[in-house]
Amino acid sequence: MHQTAGRGDAIKHVFMWPAFLIVLVVTLFPLIYALVVSFQAIRIVPPLPPRFVGVENYADILSSARFWGSMWTTSVIVFVSVALQFVIGFALALALHHNVPGANLYRVTFLLPMFLAPVCVALIARMIFHPYLGPVNDAMSGMGFGNIPFLTEPNLAVAVLITVEVWQWTPFVTLLMLAGLQSLPDEVFEAAKVDNIPAWRRFRDITFPMLLPLSVAVIFIRLIEGFKVIDTVFVLTGGGPGTATETLTLFAYNEGFKKFNLGYTSALSFTFLIIVIIVGTAYLAAAQRVMRRYA
Amino acid sequence: MMETDGYKRIGLGVSLVWLFFCLFPLYFVAVTAFKPPIAVSQGPTYFPFVDFEPTLQAFRDAFSGLRGDFYGPIMSSIMVATTATALSVFLGTMAAYALVRFEFRVKLLSGLIFAVIAIGGFTVLSEVYEWTVPTALATVLVVALVVSVSANRLPLPGPVLGNRDVTFWFVSQRIFPPIVSAFALFLLYAEVGRAGLTLLDTFGGLVLCYTAFGLPFSVWLMRDFLETVPIEVEEAALVDDISRVRIFFQIVLPMARPGLIATSMIVLAFIWNEFLFALLLTSGEWQTLPILISGQNSSRGDEWWAISVAALIAIVPMVIVATILGRMMRSGLLSGSIK
Repeated sequence: MHQTAGRGDAIKHVFMWPAFLIVLVVTLFPLIYALVVSFQAIRIVPPLPPRFVGVENYADILSSARFWGSMWTTSVIVFVSVALQFVIGFALALALHHNVPGANLYRVTFLLPMFLAPVCVALIARMIFHPYLGPVNDAMSGMGFGNIPFLTEPNLAVAVLITVEVWQWTPFVTLLMLAGLQSLPDEVFEAAKVDNIPAWRRFRDITFPMLLPLSVAVIFIRLIEGFKVIDTVFVLTGGGPGTATETLTLFAYNEGFKKFNLGYTSALSFTFLIIVIIVGTAYLAAAQRVMRRYA
Repeated sequence: MMETDGYKRIGLGVSLVWLFFCLFPLYFVAVTAFKPPIAVSQGPTYFPFVDFEPTLQAFRDAFSGLRGDFYGPIMSSIMVATTATALSVFLGTMAAYALVRFEFRVKLLSGLIFAVIAIGGFTVLSEVYEWTVPTALATVLVVALVVSVSANRLPLPGPVLGNRDVTFWFVSQRIFPPIVSAFALFLLYAEVGRAGLTLLDTFGGLVLCYTAFGLPFSVWLMRDFLETVPIEVEEAALVDDISRVRIFFQIVLPMARPGLIATSMIVLAFIWNEFLFALLLTSGEWQTLPILISGQNSSRGDEWWAISVAALIAIVPMVIVATILGRMMRSGLLSGSIK
């Protein structure tokens, strides 16, 4: 018996190692390379041979106004859009869960946006928000405002980017919150109905607390994913006007591919990684406190 | 009862507003693809036959190759996305199966040994001995793996990581901002290319990268699906001395079919739409659809009919994917995967 268990156990490595090795080689090993390069001054155009410079690249980044600008833009886009996604997504999930008329029709439609390529969505948004030829300005001029330069005025451009993010990723929140709602036990709600507890309080005292762990996870995923945004911005505004809508990833891409300043770019992406880890940890710590209050 | 009706009405209102918000952009791009130029340049038009006379000219232009190569990116997107999806779902399912049915014990200390040897070894080899990047990395990888795997057998002190931690390790790859590994991967591919093996702008290079990109999803989702597959059949087969490999292919895979389909759809959507890696790792021959589309803006300007056709080509397959998943969601299949 013991022998068969031992022999059966060895096979687990055959199942595990291919996936493990590919992830290790393709995602983790480049990181080691980038980490080492981030402490060097190395550039391809014009060529500058590798030279160890310690934390100079990191110091440069932290004193660069453009870095803090992109940091601010990314944070505004991510926090505002995730807040909206969660509120709207949760509301839609509740509506679907309580079978509003036509729920089956909405289900597929509400899912759709998150499966479309962000570059396509951005391209469509560019048409829709066009100052002269776009439907939004068409409607606006119908109401007496004309030709608003949505994509060339910094604050409006950020607002458009937030709108696009909300359009595309609210379905993700809806999908998961709906699944969460469906997994809640019916008995509690039946009992609450019998006790004549009003719907609003049923939500506040039962549904919301019970879905809190899931909500925390959903918001966490959206925050982490949101910080990576590049494609939408790349197509919609190209980071402009100036660098007003440049996000962290786009900034790193521009540094890397327009200047080929490898050391600086690698240091930039590691700074970015550290920021994501800090934001993620701070968020989870805050979420823990909220959850403890409800528990 | 009155009160619930009120909420129902609010819910319906919100849903209808969202439905419009959701569908209008898609409707607009769909009709724009059939517009003649004049219906675009004179301000927005909305209804075919009323506002403008629909035409197929934009589609004809696109597929006749008149406006740049469309077939190339479409073909490379299809080939790369399907191959990488198949590979990553297959390998991911294997890993997920191992995680569900076997116990893994990884000592934290051996993981640390791996990191120290890998980072330190690479620094020393490339800085002091001036080895080329690919040779140094490959050497370090092999040495670090061998040392840490054998170290794991020793009775090391410190915490021991289990299956949950291994799963988390896979999923945590998604926390890294992709630019970190994308840019480094670009440099690495370039270095490997200098050593003779071309990976930049090739089928193999893209598939390798996207397989790794899809693996965290595959492992995570398939682990949840496989946990719901009953173990009794497998135990019976084990008693009959049927090998694990045959059990996996002939019993587990067929039983996990709904899960496999759902996971493939999700991974396919992610790979099909992926932009950053394709932007960095391709330059011409193997450009994928998202790269072609992102270039439409500057190359087409206000030729919205052409832009819309390009966007539609990328959108339609994903509409099919979303519909299939929506069906599965209705049958309650996906609710198991969030636990």
